[in-house]
Amino acid sequence: MFIESRELLIKHKIPVSRISKYWKGLEGGIVYKTACKKCGETYYPPRAECLCGGEVEWVEVDGEGIIEAFTTVHAIPKGFEWNKPYTIAIASFGDVKIMGWAEDVEVGDRVRIKTGKDETGVWKVYFEVI
Amino acid sequence: MRVGVVGVGCSKFGRRDDVTIQELAYEAVKEALDDAGMVQDDIDLSVVGSVNTRGYELMPAVPVNEYCGFAGKGPLRVEAACATGTAAVYTAYTSIASKMADVAIAIGVEKMTEVDTATSLAIGGRAGNYLWEFHQYGTTFPGYYAMHASAHMAKFGTSEKQMAMVAVKAHRNAAKNPKAHFQKEITVEDVLNSRVITYPLKLYDCSPISDGSAAAILASEEKIKEFGIDDVIWLESAGYASDTSNMTNRESFVGLKATVLAAEMAYRRAGIDDPVKQLDMATVHDCFTIAEIMAYEDLKFCRKGEGGKFVEMEESDIGGKLPVNTFGGLKAKGHPLAATGVAMVYEVVKQLREEAGDLQVDLKNYRGLIHNVGGTGHFAFVMLFRR
Repeated sequence: MFIESRELLIKHKIPVSRISKYWKGLEGGIVYKTACKKCGETYYPPRAECLCGGEVEWVEVDGEGIIEAFTTVHAIPKGFEWNKPYTIAIASFGDVKIMGWAEDVEVGDRVRIKTGKDETGVWKVYFEVI
Repeated sequence: MRVGVVGVGCSKFGRRDDVTIQELAYEAVKEALDDAGMVQDDIDLSVVGSVNTRGYELMPAVPVNEYCGFAGKGPLRVEAACATGTAAVYTAYTSIASKMADVAIAIGVEKMTEVDTATSLAIGGRAGNYLWEFHQYGTTFPGYYAMHASAHMAKFGTSEKQMAMVAVKAHRNAAKNPKAHFQKEITVEDVLNSRVITYPLKLYDCSPISDGSAAAILASEEKIKEFGIDDVIWLESAGYASDTSNMTNRESFVGLKATVLAAEMAYRRAGIDDPVKQLDMATVHDCFTIAEIMAYEDLKFCRKGEGGKFVEMEESDIGGKLPVNTFGGLKAKGHPLAATGVAMVYEVVKQLREEAGDLQVDLKNYRGLIHNVGGTGHFAFVMLFRR
């Protein structure tokens, strides 16, 4: 025997003020990382403060990436029901690794980075095989 | 100060529509108390491990603690994703070792089947770093490990067939474990032909969504003498480590650094340099088949890249060089998150006491290992037990 619980829907407001340049960058086709002016450490996902205490600057991620890992998701989680199977990949771009969506990739493929938005209006990184 | 395990309990794992989280917890607690020959009043501290982001009781520690008869003695609630169980054991262990308690119980309990599968996937997909992973890319928990599998296959030629062999072994052992979620043997073909969950992982590469509980009672050497308990399994050594929340901040995807570091710590403290020779059995974190293959390597049962061969050569079978996951592993015994790590203690204690029935391994060293990973290597605990 069961009793149904009362429904609870949770939708959060995520503060992104300190890294708003990243999210605006995606809309303009640019993927940013941050780099510390003092110690040279780079951050992706970007963070607005370096652990060494130095000031960071925003640097565009560019050039060719190499696919290090991927999966094509067939068992779809709630929130992505509108989508057919999709492929998540991780590519390295020099000193940072970046997650993105891709099509028909294999480990070792060379890719270019792009941005775009999915059917729910969420901006993200896409990889295009070269 | 030595700390020993004096009582263990474990519920039947599986879809447990018949019980609430507190009722489920009490099944394991009752068994552990009976096993130790103790009652609630003998316990100083209860530690309740539960993730329970899928259950209706979002803050379950107090209801669980009350139902089990421990109101007034804790609870300390701990959470370390899928390593919550060993985090609870570790908390009980350090409480005793630091003399803040004499007898402590670690309870791991999880209800995972109260929500539908798509919701469960969306919760598990939040196990890394929500904004940068699930929010944008729809990561799922199987998906994180599938990415590791793709990297391992590309670098070392590990095959889907070798991964399938992990599942076949798990089901073979679970078939003889009445508490396991699945008691059915499967073949390599069954695994290879099962539906794709997230390439390259298929249904039978994945641990099931299970409910379950487990409990372990730990006590100081002094208290053990006072109680006159002579069959004690000592917690010989414990190591723990963590890694980045974002998968993109990892050095590589062919192993879990947290496991390597936790094992180094546990091995150093116990003087282990050749685990295959010095241990009689191990219980490793096989939430997915690739996870067990990486665990063989990261725990130094074999060289990096040779994990696929280790299972293929039947080294990890009961009767092999180092039996692994003798009760069926997370893969077939079931993986109720917080219960898993404590159920590993249950398994190693039963094996070292020679109470494992049809699943009993041969004992030479009277030493066993447990390895519990939280998230995708976000947390790792490695513990060594000795009779």
